[in-house]
Amino acid sequence: MTSSLQIDKLKIMRDQVPLLALNETIAGGDVLSIMGPSGSGKSTMLNWLAGMLPHGFCADGELYLNGKNITHLPSYQRRLGLLYQDALLFPHLSVADNIAFAMPKEDKAVRREKIAKGLKDLGLVNLENRGPESLSGGQQARVALLRVLLSQPKAILLDEPFSKLDSQLRQETRQLVFQQISQHQLPAIIVTHDESDALAANGKVIVLDATPKHS
Amino acid sequence: MLFANFRLITKARLLRQVGVAVLLLFVNVSSALSYTQGGDEAKVEQEKQVPLALINQDRLWQTHIEQGKNRTVYFHAWGGDAQINRYIQWLSSKVKAQYNIDLQHVKLIDTSEAVSRVLAEKSAGNDDRGRIDIVWINGENFASMQQYGLLSRDWVGELPNFSLTNPNKNPAMTRDFGIPTQGMEAPWGQASLTFYYAPPVHDFVQSTPKANRAQHSLSTAQAPKTIKQMLAWAKQNPGRFTYPKPPDFLSLSFLKYALMTLNEHQPASIKNRLYQAQTKESQAQLLPKLWQFLDEIHPYLWRQGRYFVTSGTALQRLVGDGELSLGFTFAAAQVPAAVMRYDLPEHTRSYVMQDGSLSNIHFLAIPYNTSQIHAAKLVVNYMLSVEAQAKKQQAEVWGDSTVIDMSQLTQQQQSLFDTLNQHPSALPINSNITALSEPHPSWTKLLTREWLQRYGVQ
Amino acid sequence: MAYSNHMLNSLFNTVVRLSPKVLITILILPVFAGLLGVLLPAFGWLPALGKTQLGLQGFSQLLQTPGLKQMVALSFSTSLLSGLLAFIFTLLLLATFFDSPWLIRIRRMLSPILVIPHAAAAIAIAFLITPSGMISRLFSPWLTQWHIAPDWLLPHDPYGISIIIGLTLKELPFLMLMTLNAMAQPALNNKIQAQYRVALSLGYYPITAFFKVVLPTIYPLMRLPLLAILAYASASVEMPLILGPNTPPTLAVAIMNWFHDVDLSMRIQASAGALLQLLVTVLVLTTWWLLERAIKKVSYVSLSNGKRNYGDIILAKAVALLTVLLILVIALSLAGLVIWSFAGYWHFPALLPEQWLLIHWQSALLQLQIPLMNTVLVGVLSTFIAVVLTLLTLEFEQQNRVKLTKFHSLLIYLPLLIPSIAFLFGLVWLQEALHSDSTFINVVFAHLLFVLPYVFLSLANSYRRLDPRYAQLAASLGATPVKVFFKVTLPQLFAAILVASALGVAISFSQYLPTQLASGGRMLTLTTEAVTLANGASRRVSSVYALMQMILPAMAFLMVWLILKLKRKW
Repeated sequence: MTSSLQIDKLKIMRDQVPLLALNETIAGGDVLSIMGPSGSGKSTMLNWLAGMLPHGFCADGELYLNGKNITHLPSYQRRLGLLYQDALLFPHLSVADNIAFAMPKEDKAVRREKIAKGLKDLGLVNLENRGPESLSGGQQARVALLRVLLSQPKAILLDEPFSKLDSQLRQETRQLVFQQISQHQLPAIIVTHDESDALAANGKVIVLDATPKHS
Repeated sequence: MLFANFRLITKARLLRQVGVAVLLLFVNVSSALSYTQGGDEAKVEQEKQVPLALINQDRLWQTHIEQGKNRTVYFHAWGGDAQINRYIQWLSSKVKAQYNIDLQHVKLIDTSEAVSRVLAEKSAGNDDRGRIDIVWINGENFASMQQYGLLSRDWVGELPNFSLTNPNKNPAMTRDFGIPTQGMEAPWGQASLTFYYAPPVHDFVQSTPKANRAQHSLSTAQAPKTIKQMLAWAKQNPGRFTYPKPPDFLSLSFLKYALMTLNEHQPASIKNRLYQAQTKESQAQLLPKLWQFLDEIHPYLWRQGRYFVTSGTALQRLVGDGELSLGFTFAAAQVPAAVMRYDLPEHTRSYVMQDGSLSNIHFLAIPYNTSQIHAAKLVVNYMLSVEAQAKKQQAEVWGDSTVIDMSQLTQQQQSLFDTLNQHPSALPINSNITALSEPHPSWTKLLTREWLQRYGVQ
Repeated sequence: MAYSNHMLNSLFNTVVRLSPKVLITILILPVFAGLLGVLLPAFGWLPALGKTQLGLQGFSQLLQTPGLKQMVALSFSTSLLSGLLAFIFTLLLLATFFDSPWLIRIRRMLSPILVIPHAAAAIAIAFLITPSGMISRLFSPWLTQWHIAPDWLLPHDPYGISIIIGLTLKELPFLMLMTLNAMAQPALNNKIQAQYRVALSLGYYPITAFFKVVLPTIYPLMRLPLLAILAYASASVEMPLILGPNTPPTLAVAIMNWFHDVDLSMRIQASAGALLQLLVTVLVLTTWWLLERAIKKVSYVSLSNGKRNYGDIILAKAVALLTVLLILVIALSLAGLVIWSFAGYWHFPALLPEQWLLIHWQSALLQLQIPLMNTVLVGVLSTFIAVVLTLLTLEFEQQNRVKLTKFHSLLIYLPLLIPSIAFLFGLVWLQEALHSDSTFINVVFAHLLFVLPYVFLSLANSYRRLDPRYAQLAASLGATPVKVFFKVTLPQLFAAILVASALGVAISFSQYLPTQLASGGRMLTLTTEAVTLANGASRRVSSVYALMQMILPAMAFLMVWLILKLKRKW
């Protein structure tokens, strides 16, 4: 079965003022880029997708993941992986435990093995027992990526994921992320204000307008 | 604090060794005194220079009036009763009018707080700027304060109104729980142990129309009248009676009442040992009856005797809540006052035990280190006046029995003491009181210790 | 002009530089001197009684006290259990309502309880659970068949259940608000919110996500308030006195009784007892610390075991029920107080009194003027000193880019951690020895000991949360430190200062033991009157006083709220 993420006639409003409208379907392995200035509602839309629409906003429309309507599922049952600009690794857990935290419950040894392999694939050998705060920014970003991937998400949402990295690291990490997405055949949406991100995503690009200010 | 002790020792040595140094100390003290009190008060003068023995009574009293006017006097007195507090406020207005003295009532939860305070002052070397000018006291607290020399001595005889108590004829006025007062405290009032009875309201309400309840002459027929009846009554009405926990004053009064009445049948030679310091032998003769009684009654008390209230006021609150049917107090007038304030049910009735009622006198003392000795004496003297004593005896004011010997008064003065319109819950005027006088204070300490040993830990 | 400006600046710098030292001295000196004033008598040194021989007699007397073990056990278990319960309830509430608008609502509901003095809260709870109390009346006689008040376990039960109920109810809001305050730091708040969302997106149920992701980050911030709660509970007097057993009572109550015993030589035993109390408090804190370490160790593995749901749905329902119960208990206790304060005759099991009267309020208000004035004066003055010292100390911190060391911040909270019963009696002795005769000043300083830590706790958060770049910017524009402090820093802290002041005033309003001891009973405040009357015979009058005790601090907070609201409008 091919995976897909379908946004069906989404309309988001803030205090009854329309903010944005969207109607898209993303197939597995594709990346939809959404661009727009700040205040255009792109992050709000991502929050809606994740099931965490902030107070003061309301939304109309449906969300289908692999054909199943998940519009009204709580966020913890949606299985959408999130990547933010901050790695957001849990400071009280080691690198390995951060990843284990994300993985489905299964045999401990099996999990350890998967973690070790994943870390090796991303060029992070022997970092299992380090505290996340001792890692460099690039390493943290890669651990965060691995954490999302090993949680076996059905789609991936990226919220300005590379904006805090310097340009060299940025290219590398970006390449790695998109490569992994296509390898896992996951539908993905990236929200960014950097054109080079959209370019590298190599998929459809939607540019949102700055909404007229509420007077 | 170490510094304070050092000062104390130094002072003592100076006094003993160099006479001249006394003068230096005086300078020290009076300079300290000058910033003791608030700004609007006059500078305190050196009172100790008045040679007491050389002046006659009248001139001495004139000195007190001159030196005592316009001062502030702090009266430390138990403050748990609104009625008594109001009476003290009235006193305050009177001495203000008469001597322009500001009488401030410092409300204590327990008189022992005042004892602690004077002790703390003494231990810090504060021998002349004490914060307590008058303290309401008797029994154990008095015994304690006089033992450690915390009270002014030989001043009561100077009070013109003290003679109204006729001390030569009434030795009780100069003995506090058997200890001679030696002029350290003046009698203020007297009281005897009074019981009050308020059966469960459920039965009462069902049988009596609402309008008739307050006037209903509910008898105390069902209430226990002797210590023996009390045991039987408690068994029939489990959980409806308790008494406070020692060392509460009222608690010990109940224990002493029980101790005395339970030993009523003993020969006089043994009974009289209660009025002497306790010994191993007298303990063995008198105490077993009491413990036997308590062992037997405790399972039938409120909370099966596993918790005891801490004071007489808490006891009254429980009767007011309807959790108890029987309470007791030393202030008989509190009962009608509480009923009128809605704090006790309107069908409450007072009575005294037929086998005896413990009676005692309460006193006013002046700590040794007061800075207001003159003003304090003026206030105490006024408290012993016919006017103040008659007011105090009025049931609606306080209802505390006077210490004045009525035979010393004119007919007109005597009529001031009459109480009109008695409330149905008050102790009937014609009650036949068999007074039991307080045993020697050594028994109080013994009872406290032994009680706590036996029942204080469960 | 320039010269006087220079003077002003150097004066300001000196004041700022000295203020941390002054602050620490004001807190430490009385506590340690007070402790010494207990330590010496404990070893038999009490010259006023003619005892000048050092020895262990006080301790042997103490050890022979019947029921000592039970007293210690009661103090230990009630404080530990109430602390644990308050902690668990706080976590459950936070976990369930984290990221929900209800959290703010619950916070608003709990805030007023924080300022209710312990004595007033104990009076209210006692009336709720007593056999003739509100709960019993609600169900009688239709359900229970009780026409006469039953003789049941609560309050004053020998196991300390009533104390635990009282302490838990009083500690819960404190812990909750302290935690929410700590969590409100923007940097931290953003981080835990985002991490919480990551956990949700990884399939974690909300309560589980809170426990696995948020708790490990915020626990260190809860530790100090927790320890303060435990220390307070282990040595508090009001709650056990009004709700606890007395055969035997808790250790702290017993010590207070010994201090007040007519037999003055009991002082030595009482002082030895105060030292034992210190030991018990240390034991409680150590036990908590060990428990904390053990749980941390045991639970670490399960943090990353991948389990995403520990009965979250059922738990959420249980917590909702618990919240409703909690609110009901609070509402019923308050309703009980209000009804009593207007009640005429009120027989069991009637749910409402036979008459409604104003006389209890009238007679109380007539006598309240002086206590009310004293309460307000002492509260305002001690709070003012506390706020000024705190601001200057924090300014020192910021100017020098240092945070107070752990040691220093521990010192600030010392009066909260050391049982006051262990040093207050010694403090009175000290004030006597220093010939400090002004009752008013003595009381203000005694209050300061308890007001200062809370004001510091409340203000430090906001101050440290300020963006230092404003001050740097102002300085770069040529503003002197004085100007920066008054024109840039203080205005930004306006709301925080007002809230801290209201808290300080409320803390001062509720002090009983310090007022009573430092004034030698000469200063009447609302609280000293309320506690005196709580032991008095009239439930009605004591209800009036307990309510007044609640109204006064509430008014302080109301004023702050109004001022802030008006200011926002402008």
